[in-house]
Amino acid sequence: MIIIDGSEGEGGGQVVRTACALSLVTGEPFRIANVRGGRDRPGLMRQHVTAIEAACAIGTATCEGLSVGSSEIAFRPGRIVPGEYQFAVGTAGSTALVLQTVLMPLLRADGPSRLVLEGGTHNPQAPPFEFLARAFLPILNHMGPKVCLRLVRHGFYPRGGGRIEVDITPAPLEPIACRERGAPAGCSARVLLAGLPLSIGERMMTAARKGLVDWPAPAFAIDELPADLGPGIVLLLERAFDHVTEVMSGFGRMGERAEAVAGTAARRIAGYAASGAFAGPYLADQLLLPMALAGGGSFTTVTPSKHSRTAASIIERFLGRRWSFTEDGEAGHRAELV
Amino acid sequence: MKATVVIGFLGSTLDASKIGPSRWSKWRPSVALCMHEDLRVDRFVLLHGTPHLRLADYVAEDIASVSPETTVERHVLDFRDPWDFEEVYGKLLDFARSYRFDPEAEDYLVHITTGTHVGQICLFLLTEAHYFPGKLLQTQPRRGTADAVGMWNTIDLDLSRYDSIATRFAAHAAESTSFLKSGIETRNRAFNRMIDEIEQVALRSKAPLLLMGPTGAGKSQLARRIYELKRLRHQVKGAFVEVNCATLRGDGTMSALFGHRKGAFTGAAADRPGLLRSADTGVLFLDEIGELGLDEQAMILRAVEDKRFLPVGADTDVASDFQLIAGTNRRLTDQVASGAFREDLFARLNLWTFELPGLAERQEDIAPNLDYELDRFAEREGNRVTFNKEAREAYLAFATGPEALWTGNFRDLAASVTRMATFSPGGRIDRASVDAEIVRLRKLWTATSGEGDDLEAVLGIDRLAALDPFDRVQLAYVVAICRASRSLSEAGRRLFSASRARKASSNDADRLRKYLARFGLAWSDLQP
Repeated sequence: MIIIDGSEGEGGGQVVRTACALSLVTGEPFRIANVRGGRDRPGLMRQHVTAIEAACAIGTATCEGLSVGSSEIAFRPGRIVPGEYQFAVGTAGSTALVLQTVLMPLLRADGPSRLVLEGGTHNPQAPPFEFLARAFLPILNHMGPKVCLRLVRHGFYPRGGGRIEVDITPAPLEPIACRERGAPAGCSARVLLAGLPLSIGERMMTAARKGLVDWPAPAFAIDELPADLGPGIVLLLERAFDHVTEVMSGFGRMGERAEAVAGTAARRIAGYAASGAFAGPYLADQLLLPMALAGGGSFTTVTPSKHSRTAASIIERFLGRRWSFTEDGEAGHRAELV
Repeated sequence: MKATVVIGFLGSTLDASKIGPSRWSKWRPSVALCMHEDLRVDRFVLLHGTPHLRLADYVAEDIASVSPETTVERHVLDFRDPWDFEEVYGKLLDFARSYRFDPEAEDYLVHITTGTHVGQICLFLLTEAHYFPGKLLQTQPRRGTADAVGMWNTIDLDLSRYDSIATRFAAHAAESTSFLKSGIETRNRAFNRMIDEIEQVALRSKAPLLLMGPTGAGKSQLARRIYELKRLRHQVKGAFVEVNCATLRGDGTMSALFGHRKGAFTGAAADRPGLLRSADTGVLFLDEIGELGLDEQAMILRAVEDKRFLPVGADTDVASDFQLIAGTNRRLTDQVASGAFREDLFARLNLWTFELPGLAERQEDIAPNLDYELDRFAEREGNRVTFNKEAREAYLAFATGPEALWTGNFRDLAASVTRMATFSPGGRIDRASVDAEIVRLRKLWTATSGEGDDLEAVLGIDRLAALDPFDRVQLAYVVAICRASRSLSEAGRRLFSASRARKASSNDADRLRKYLARFGLAWSDLQP
């Protein structure tokens, strides 16, 4: 039994999700005390309970202490059963975070799976659908398996109600080295807007163009979605290279100016483009687990985040493999499994 | 994992919104309570009337969207008038009684933010009475933002679960008991337990209280403190009326207690309200209630039960609503057995009976009461008097020893302190004052105790020790009569009066002389 202090490192829900995934893959039970001890409202929140319930469902696992507000859980994995699953997550919860919990175990299953995930697809607290589909999954698929993601219906915070479908065909994960991003292969800036005045989208777009003067005019577009999906607005900035695509987002929020949201997102994608690193901070987080399970891998990234270091330390507890982060000249940092 | 079930009204105003995405910028309590990350609602029992079917549909749909974990269980509850307390309470009570609660498997939260105020009050009352076996759930919007989620918190009506409230309750109760004890830090466990009970009874009951205990045990003082405590807590408005029934004698008794009309009897020159009337909305303390005659007892019983009685000479009843505290130093049960006290009145008084122990049974309380009496003396005389250490120890050693009978209880202690304080003009009670006081107390108690005869002076200690108690009582009586008589013959006539009446004996003086001679006494020994 692996014992984890949930207040260490980044101290949030990522510890719980990563531990569940690793436990199902390795068959090693774990206990977390001080769940989300680093947060204002510690203990499990609804979305974490849903994620753990999903892990229990696909892995015939049991979890003691599983309730909203619980500060200690003990998770005992069982056999991973592939198949068709449907999980729904409440208001602020993101489908991406549920997927993060169950995807690696299902890649180890002895058959294909099909998931229907309902809840938020575009939620400021989690990677949006486009990030998973265009930045993360192409690299994962490059490692061997085949994971297909479809957006059936958008789900914005707070109303949720979105739906994505995932087809998973397992295959052994192969180590890959991701040092070079390759030549530029295009860019796109899209505003998704639902149930809000178009003018807000236009303001966001104008601000994004100001921050990304070298992007061609046709790259910018507003997608107006059916009003009943809303309210919701998000700016999605996508920068493609031969070997990698990065996606940054900016969510419109009550009380925050559209221009400010767009300006921040534009600065972040421009910063990534200028860095020469393979992965931005969010993509780096996501790559640690599959590469560790593949038994090898490396990539270049910007300064590793606290999230990344926390994930790396949980991985080390379960797999005994350590991620090393070293400075690597122009590209920023080099992450390597040792 | 225990399921969380929310029970609440659909808010016909608060939960209503425009159709369209703008509704997500509005706080709608029933939807909002399903949007919290830290509150998972597994089932929502949504109460609503038939006119709000469509709104209920709309709200239920939105709950399904934001909270797939929640099953909405709709329950139609129609009120003719949702502001009518009787109707709303009755229908909610029926609902609560018919609902299958399973507190082992489910936690219940009763949402009181929606519904009419009457509905909210009824939910509160039914939750407090445990018809809804759960906690109250309160939700509210966040000020100044168009936030759809807002805030929530629960209220557990079991107040003992709130530390600060429980602490205040405890402090309040401690204050009350301390109040009843006049601030004296008594240590006697039996006495303290009794005071705790009196505190609870005094604040919760309007039924009569019966304080039993020897004279001077503090019945009167305690009755007054109970009254003052009740007045502080706004439970009585009227006066504290105190009367010692032993002081009521003869014809005036009825009139003193129940009042009279002008002209009811000779000398009734004006209306007199009587003590019971004066105690209206207050407290009537009848000390030594065992001294009342049977007629007065009957009237008192009626006044307690019906709050009405008939003044002397009046044609109609008058009303007075008072709380009765009765005091007695006799065993009322014995008086009931002998027919001197009405059984029905005793039964009425015997609900809350407290027996105040005498001071001799509360040795550990003598020291704190000694300090209290010194304080009282200082207050009364404007002169603070203290013991020196040795004197205090000597006094307490005597006061708590087997010799100290404290037959007059607190009265004795108060008098003792007053004497010592008065004899200590320097404000300091020293060993000599204490020794003198001990002699005085010894004398007091030998005089008043069962063995309080003066045979020691007559016979001397050795001969007295050889005397059987059987003879001692008789001899003591004989000696007392002799001392009160002018001659041997007079004493003989009084002592043998019955025989004399039957003419069975003629020489009473000789008979008495022979009796005294058996103890080695002569008439002259008994004359001053």
